[in-house]
Amino acid sequence: MMSSAERTHLGRALCIITGASRGFGRATALDLSRIVQPGSVLVLVARSEGDLRALQAELFESEAGKAGVTVRVVVADVGEVRGLEDVVKASKEAFSPDMEHMILVNNAASLGDVSRLTKSFTDMAEVDSYLSLNISSALCLTARVLQAFPQRAGLRRTVVNITSLCAIQPFRSWVLYCTGKAGREMMFRVLAEEEPDVRVLNYSPGPLDTAMQREVRAKTADPELKESFASMFTHGQLLTCEESCAKMMKLLLEDSYTSGAHVDVFEL
Amino acid sequence: MSDINSHDPRTLGKSLCIITGASRGFGRALALQVVHLLEPGSVLLLVARSGAQLQEVKDELQNFRDEPERQIHCITADLSTKDGVEETVSVASQEAEKELDHVLLINNAGSLGKISSFVSFTDPKEVDSYMSFNVSSALALTAGILQMFPRRPGLRWTVVNVSSVYALEASPLWVLYCTAKAARTMMFKVLAEDEPNVKVLNYSPGPMETEMQEKVREITGTSVDVMACKDSAATLIKLIIDNEFPSGTHLDFFES
Repeated sequence: MMSSAERTHLGRALCIITGASRGFGRATALDLSRIVQPGSVLVLVARSEGDLRALQAELFESEAGKAGVTVRVVVADVGEVRGLEDVVKASKEAFSPDMEHMILVNNAASLGDVSRLTKSFTDMAEVDSYLSLNISSALCLTARVLQAFPQRAGLRRTVVNITSLCAIQPFRSWVLYCTGKAGREMMFRVLAEEEPDVRVLNYSPGPLDTAMQREVRAKTADPELKESFASMFTHGQLLTCEESCAKMMKLLLEDSYTSGAHVDVFEL
Repeated sequence: MSDINSHDPRTLGKSLCIITGASRGFGRALALQVVHLLEPGSVLLLVARSGAQLQEVKDELQNFRDEPERQIHCITADLSTKDGVEETVSVASQEAEKELDHVLLINNAGSLGKISSFVSFTDPKEVDSYMSFNVSSALALTAGILQMFPRRPGLRWTVVNVSSVYALEASPLWVLYCTAKAARTMMFKVLAEDEPNVKVLNYSPGPMETEMQEKVREITGTSVDVMACKDSAATLIKLIIDNEFPSGTHLDFFES
């Protein structure tokens, strides 16, 4: 049995990843596939069937795929109860008793409308809808998954929340995103306090070169903030998903992070 | 030109003061104290679901003095609904023509939520409903009122979020409350960033003798030392009057 400092893999694992079809979720799927043992299963969740199937095919053809890591796709909206049920059902079917690790990566999220200031959010339904996707769905999915895979000897359980600097620092014109991230991060801190046997990683991936970032550049209302993101892009200061994800993998392998703590890519 | 850091050390000025959850507990205690600091021409709007309880608070307030120059209105509204929020904004907007020198909005309405294990929260509708009342409602209401009273010279704007130590500290079994309080605090911090002429205060009142605290005792079986609502209300009001806090800050009763 290797000490955690020497771990080069996460064992035979069931990995559930939301928002897996592109961006950071996709990078997570690819990276996890390389550090789990044969017999592991990745359950990839997103709304876009086309992109999920393409990723599934890519993984099938990969070294990991050939070595016996399999992929199930769940085309689902985690903002709907039906979506949550489908994910749990697929995960239970994918699980085998010889698995030693269950990893849930709560990555699915949305930016919200960053083109408007706080005082423009007079429509309660818009805010409700945002919080439902970005807070409620992550809470309910995690609760359901932890119930489906309760504590037992020989099963490590890891829950990752993709958080953000916005969870701890207010960004002008980003009220929905900051509010959602702050709520989520606290949520997972409570989980860490309640369930000491569950390893909870609040991982802040840094500014990533993704579709979400394009939206940030295009829409941010605050001129200074918009300019700083534009500048990061032009000067090649955005991180690739691969770069940030590699750091997250290192954290998972070393497994020495404080459960529930906010861990930022730039601290590593 | 409004100077957000200027203050009359004795009063809140000729003010539109809106307090949500004003029918009991901390909201009621605030109303009972704020009324003394409102200059003639001020309007105090008390919002809660219980019309009967609000009327009792209004009656208590009117017993203090007979001056008709301060108007007190009760708005019976369910702030967990869009209609309730819009009704409140609409009533407040009727004061928009007045020459007010201060708008003070105290977002106090909130609920405890189910105190239960994290893994018990499997129903998104339950969580959505809780977040809607405790987060969305405060945002929509604050935004609505801000739109009705836009920035102008001579108008001071103060927004208070009644927060909690649980906005900062994660506590087992309190996932709903902690999540909503943390979300709200951040929300009001972003407001402070977005609107430099609005003074925003996240105030954690400390444990008080309220029905909410009673529920906590029943559910958890534990008791903490509590203070009277009026003590914490006095501290909050002093903070507003002194107006020295940096906008967006989170202050706790015990730090003040």
